[in-house]
Amino acid sequence: MDSAKIQQLGERAAKAEAEIMALMQQLTMLKSGVSGNGVEVNEEAEKLMAENAKLNYRINIMKRALEDNGSQRSAKKCTPQSDPNGMVNILLKLEELFGQAIEQAFPDVKGFQVVVVPTTPNFGDYQFNGAMSLSKLLRTLGKSLNPREVAGVIKESVPSNSVIDTLELAGPGYINIRLKASFVQEQLGLLLTRGVRPPCGVEKKRVIVDFSSPNIAKEMHVGHLRSTIIGDSICRLLEFLGHDVVRMNHVGDWGTQFGMLLAHLEDRFPNFAEETPPIGDLQSFYKESKIRFDSDADFKKRAYACVVKLQSHDPVYIKGWQAICDVSRREFQKIYDRLDIKIKERGESFYQDLMKKTVALLEEAGVLKEDDGRKVMFAPGIAVPLTIVKSDGGYTYDTSDMAAIRQRIHDEKADWVIYVVDLGQAGHFETIFACAEVAGWLDRKKTRVEHVGFGVVLGEDKKKFKSRSSETVRLVDLLDEGLRRAKEKLIEKERDKILTPEELESAQNAVAYGCVKYSDLAHNRNGDYVFSFDKMLEDKGNTAVYLLYAYTRIRSIARTANITDEQIKKAVADGIPLGHEKEMKLAKLLLRFPETIVRLTVDLFLHPLCEYLYEVSTVFTEFYDVCYCVEKDRTTGQIVHINMDRMALCEATANVMAQCFSLLGLKTVQKM
Amino acid sequence: MDGPDLVNLFVGIGLSEVKAKETAKNSNVSANLKSCINAASSVSSDEISKAHGMLLYHIATKIKPQISMQIPLLSRYVAEGKIDSELRLNAAMDYLISNPLGDVDIKAFEESCGVGVVVTPEQIEQEVEKVIKKYQAELVEKRYRFNVGPLMSEVRNNLKWGDGKVIKSEIELQVLSLLGPKTEADLAPPPKVEKVAKPKATKPTSSNKENLEVDSDSASTITELMKKVQFHKPGENFKTDGYVITEKTMDLLKEHLKITGGQVRTRFPPEPNGILHIGHAKAININFGYAAANDGVCFLRYDDTNPEKEEEKFFVGIKDMVEWLGYKPYQITHSSDNFDQLYEWAKVLIKKGLAYVCHQKAEEMKGFNPVPSPWRERPVNESLQLFEDMKNGMFEEGAATLRMKVTLEEGKLDPVAYRIKYVAHHRTGDRWCIYPTYDYTHCLCDSIEHITHSLCTKEFQSRRSSYYWLCNALDIYCPVQWEYGRLNVYYTVVSKRKIAKLITEKIVHDWDDPRLFTLTALRRRGFPPEAINNFCAGMGVTGAQMGVDPQKLEAVVKDTLDVTAPRSMVVLAPLKVTITNFPFDAPSTIEVPDFPKEVQRGSHSVTLDRVIYIDRSDFREVEEKGYRRLTKGQAVGLRYAGLVISLENVKKDASGQIVELEVKCTSSATCQEKPKAFIHWVSNPMFVEVRLYERLFQHQNPEDINEVPGGFLSDINPHSLSVVEAAADKSISGAKVYDKFQFERVGYFSVDPDSTGDKLIFNRTVMLKEDAGKS
Repeated sequence: MDSAKIQQLGERAAKAEAEIMALMQQLTMLKSGVSGNGVEVNEEAEKLMAENAKLNYRINIMKRALEDNGSQRSAKKCTPQSDPNGMVNILLKLEELFGQAIEQAFPDVKGFQVVVVPTTPNFGDYQFNGAMSLSKLLRTLGKSLNPREVAGVIKESVPSNSVIDTLELAGPGYINIRLKASFVQEQLGLLLTRGVRPPCGVEKKRVIVDFSSPNIAKEMHVGHLRSTIIGDSICRLLEFLGHDVVRMNHVGDWGTQFGMLLAHLEDRFPNFAEETPPIGDLQSFYKESKIRFDSDADFKKRAYACVVKLQSHDPVYIKGWQAICDVSRREFQKIYDRLDIKIKERGESFYQDLMKKTVALLEEAGVLKEDDGRKVMFAPGIAVPLTIVKSDGGYTYDTSDMAAIRQRIHDEKADWVIYVVDLGQAGHFETIFACAEVAGWLDRKKTRVEHVGFGVVLGEDKKKFKSRSSETVRLVDLLDEGLRRAKEKLIEKERDKILTPEELESAQNAVAYGCVKYSDLAHNRNGDYVFSFDKMLEDKGNTAVYLLYAYTRIRSIARTANITDEQIKKAVADGIPLGHEKEMKLAKLLLRFPETIVRLTVDLFLHPLCEYLYEVSTVFTEFYDVCYCVEKDRTTGQIVHINMDRMALCEATANVMAQCFSLLGLKTVQKM
Repeated sequence: MDGPDLVNLFVGIGLSEVKAKETAKNSNVSANLKSCINAASSVSSDEISKAHGMLLYHIATKIKPQISMQIPLLSRYVAEGKIDSELRLNAAMDYLISNPLGDVDIKAFEESCGVGVVVTPEQIEQEVEKVIKKYQAELVEKRYRFNVGPLMSEVRNNLKWGDGKVIKSEIELQVLSLLGPKTEADLAPPPKVEKVAKPKATKPTSSNKENLEVDSDSASTITELMKKVQFHKPGENFKTDGYVITEKTMDLLKEHLKITGGQVRTRFPPEPNGILHIGHAKAININFGYAAANDGVCFLRYDDTNPEKEEEKFFVGIKDMVEWLGYKPYQITHSSDNFDQLYEWAKVLIKKGLAYVCHQKAEEMKGFNPVPSPWRERPVNESLQLFEDMKNGMFEEGAATLRMKVTLEEGKLDPVAYRIKYVAHHRTGDRWCIYPTYDYTHCLCDSIEHITHSLCTKEFQSRRSSYYWLCNALDIYCPVQWEYGRLNVYYTVVSKRKIAKLITEKIVHDWDDPRLFTLTALRRRGFPPEAINNFCAGMGVTGAQMGVDPQKLEAVVKDTLDVTAPRSMVVLAPLKVTITNFPFDAPSTIEVPDFPKEVQRGSHSVTLDRVIYIDRSDFREVEEKGYRRLTKGQAVGLRYAGLVISLENVKKDASGQIVELEVKCTSSATCQEKPKAFIHWVSNPMFVEVRLYERLFQHQNPEDINEVPGGFLSDINPHSLSVVEAAADKSISGAKVYDKFQFERVGYFSVDPDSTGDKLIFNRTVMLKEDAGKS
């Protein structure tokens, strides 16, 4: 080997070594991912990774949107307008799940109405019992399965979910549903953190509720009380559910009676056009003019002349009319204030000008018939027609009600119109609705109209409610008596020794107005209702007094234990175990609040809400009797231990009750 | 009517030429004044007198925009002579502003400004007599030093519409007749009252005339400052400048008062994407301070609308710093709590035709003269559907935004309300891919929380009208926005990005490096929170933006530490000194007061031994004129030791570096000549690490490209940190993190969190004097 070769080899070796070094360096660089080429590689990778993360995120969002959309199409489901933080309507949720199960198991079946009902604890929490009718339906489609088999298939098809713990076949084809404890815990936690919120899944509507509606120049009597109380509670319910509610007072502020009132006004206060007439007592004013009207023919003539002037909008008579209305309005307002009622007045006078148009439209449509000089309108299947124009050319209540329903649907764009008027008017409203359909103003598929009727108020003798002098009972007197009786009751219970005068007064108000409202609402409104202060003021059973007292007691548990909201929040954050059977029972009942109130909107009966409220209160008592919330030392009375989970349950109960009271229009008090 | 005509018109009612010209230039005032004059002329054809002219001018300049439609009414009353003084005029305007809606109730209006009420000179005389009598004793005692101002206002209170001038001269007359003419003693200068020095802000760098309603002086504490501030009363939002009154306003305000019970509510709304700095301290102080001074509450609201930037540590850090400054939030909220509500409201806006989905690119919306969106007038239903699509992930990021139909003051068109981001939010998780903007979120969250005073810095003045617009568009309660000047500190940077850069460049160690002006840095450096608060109080709540030298802040810190930090002796550059004739057999112990000026506040023990350490700067081999400490021929005293030392011998090492001094001592009681100086020293010391900080940047505005062309990173002061091993007296051995001391003759120091059980580390907070070289 010559030296040249050695040198050559040496060079090659050196080169190879350098290469190895360089490669090794690159390797370490690649491993640590820094400097040199590594940077670019890294940046690129990072960019792609970020991009990827975003795409994944987006997929997730889209998937969820699709799911929401899909279930939206499958019947009733959370519309986007509804409160996303709203409470879950468990019943609705279960019906959805069973709907999906049926769709999957029997794709041929269309439009099957899924119904789930709450059930007794022996069977579970809820029950699906549609297997029987579904079995019949399937037979018509050529599939022969007995109900139990149908139920079995459905049971297996219910999609996986976070709500249901177990499903159990029972009897001929029932499916008993038990809720997951974790779901109940979670929902109770949400109830506590978010408060008692309106349920999700409610489509927002514009609703006009026509209620109270007293007559100007007459006093409100006990008959108006029911319409006012029921109407107000319906409004409160619908407002809570998020609907756009218009509370409408369709007062009787137009008509021939104003002729005699105005004629009498001319005589008594000749300068009424310049100066507001000081009518103190509208009742006697009405009676005076009525006597003259009935006895004095001249006066009667003048009264008619006044009507004509009023209807031609003579400014002087309009002024007099206004003055008379104002006196009445002030009296009404006093009552509304006492009962905490908000309502917007839109009386019959509002529709005067619209009536002409209404008649013209009906004429045009060719639906009016001449009858002995009158113009009447028939609805299919109803024997008694509406009188739209009298033989003297005047209009009637029928005319103004037709004008009103058209205005409400057409101009007010109402999706739902509710008339809270006594049951005696049922036929009338049936006719009005039917005629509105005939006229093409009302499409029942788009607009819901209904007459919410109620029975008569009876005295304790089961006869029509009258005062001793057998006159109609004035509402003011009735409320005054309520206040007096409430106070007596409180003093009888020696509450005056515990409460401060202010507390006593607010308790008195809460009890007096509360019991009048509650006893009205707690009965099926379709029945006649016996007005009895003795019954109302009982402190046991399903009465306002008992419930208000139960409520203050629950509130006072937390108060005396000095619990702060933070402590409750912390307990919620830590999770509420609901380990005791009675705790679980109470929690499940509280979570039935959404389905309970949604159910009310089906037929606008309010007594189920009262029943629910009473049930909450009794189940709470069951819980409180066996579950210690605050443990005290027996001898010293000092607080030894506070069970925060149970305090949270107390809080939730009180909150749900408070919301029920609020829907019923009852005021709660801190102490009573 | 143009310039010269206007000027003539204004001169015609008695304005001077100069004032008339000046007024003509202000289009707003001149328009007002013109309608004043028109209205006044309609009353009578006579020329407008100068007195009436001045009142009309008063109307034109002082009227608030929300009652400008009442100019004719006011002017007529002036012309008819029914409103004949500024006093009445102001009362009239107050009345109008308090009753903004509906027709003016003429009776109440006239009553409010005393139309027709005549106050006779006799009435004034009687009333003055009454008041003088009441204060007679004090008057006689203080004579002319008695401040008669309050007397005037008392008379005024009783005679609301009395002529001020007549009242004043009547008081003077009666005082004169009571006291007689001024004597020589009355004319002598009053005895001096000691004045408390106040830290003063440097002159505002810019001033803005428009926002002078927030014009309050500085004060020494925040509470004091906030009691002086002139903001509106809760519920009287409609009285403020620029507030927009709609049909719903009064009802909404009523409802608002019902909810708040008339309480003042403020909020501190930081974005949780960074660390708080000294500028935030001002915001914290103003918001929390104003609430506290008025028995109100202040929310801490994390403005977490932007999902990309939030980190848990910032949330915790912000809360810590608020608490460190001594404030407790009434409630801690998040903008994201309201995402659902904000989303619902966005749909309401769309339905009202006030917002639309737009597909312009971000670049197209930016710039000087952006093209208006071609999608501005698209149908409501389309926008509604597209907005839903945005929410459902149907668009790329940036491919669609929701924009509001409103133009900002600065001319910005249709600000964005929502944009798409495929990023999870730390609180709402993966629920949303559309996120609201500041412009959209801020006022709505304020409204939800029923904030009474939305206090923010001046930069947001241009957003005020859109703030009001949005609340009113949704018919919700509209708070009042008040602006104050932003606080900038010189020689530092505070932006999150720039500090991050300093950290990655390893120029500073972390967010709380004591050279920075973040609040954690200031805490670490040893600034007491009350000093920071008082500093902010000193800045006031004016509308002007201000730049402040860090020295101003340091001065307040020094004032605070002077009374709170106990003294201790620590030698930063130790030089060994042996006392050859040490008079004791064993080390002796000396009790040294913690606060020499206030001995009763306690003391600590200091050991004195044969070997002591003094600071190298306290000895010089070569004598020098004006140097008063130890040299060959000059003795020096040892603080607290009662000894005076004089040099015997200097020991050096091979390199010529002094390693030790040998000295003789005498008792300071017996020594012939009193030493010129007393120096600090330690014996048997413990050694501690001391970090000495200087300014981080060399220029006042390191971010200003004119001052520092190379960018802020090129402006670093290389000496901003030096670390020395110091000899400390053992009495400080038990010090805990953030304990603060005055090292005598040196400065204030605070224990750093890096300290361990074995080793204490101190940060220099501030030097005692800027140049500690001499003395």
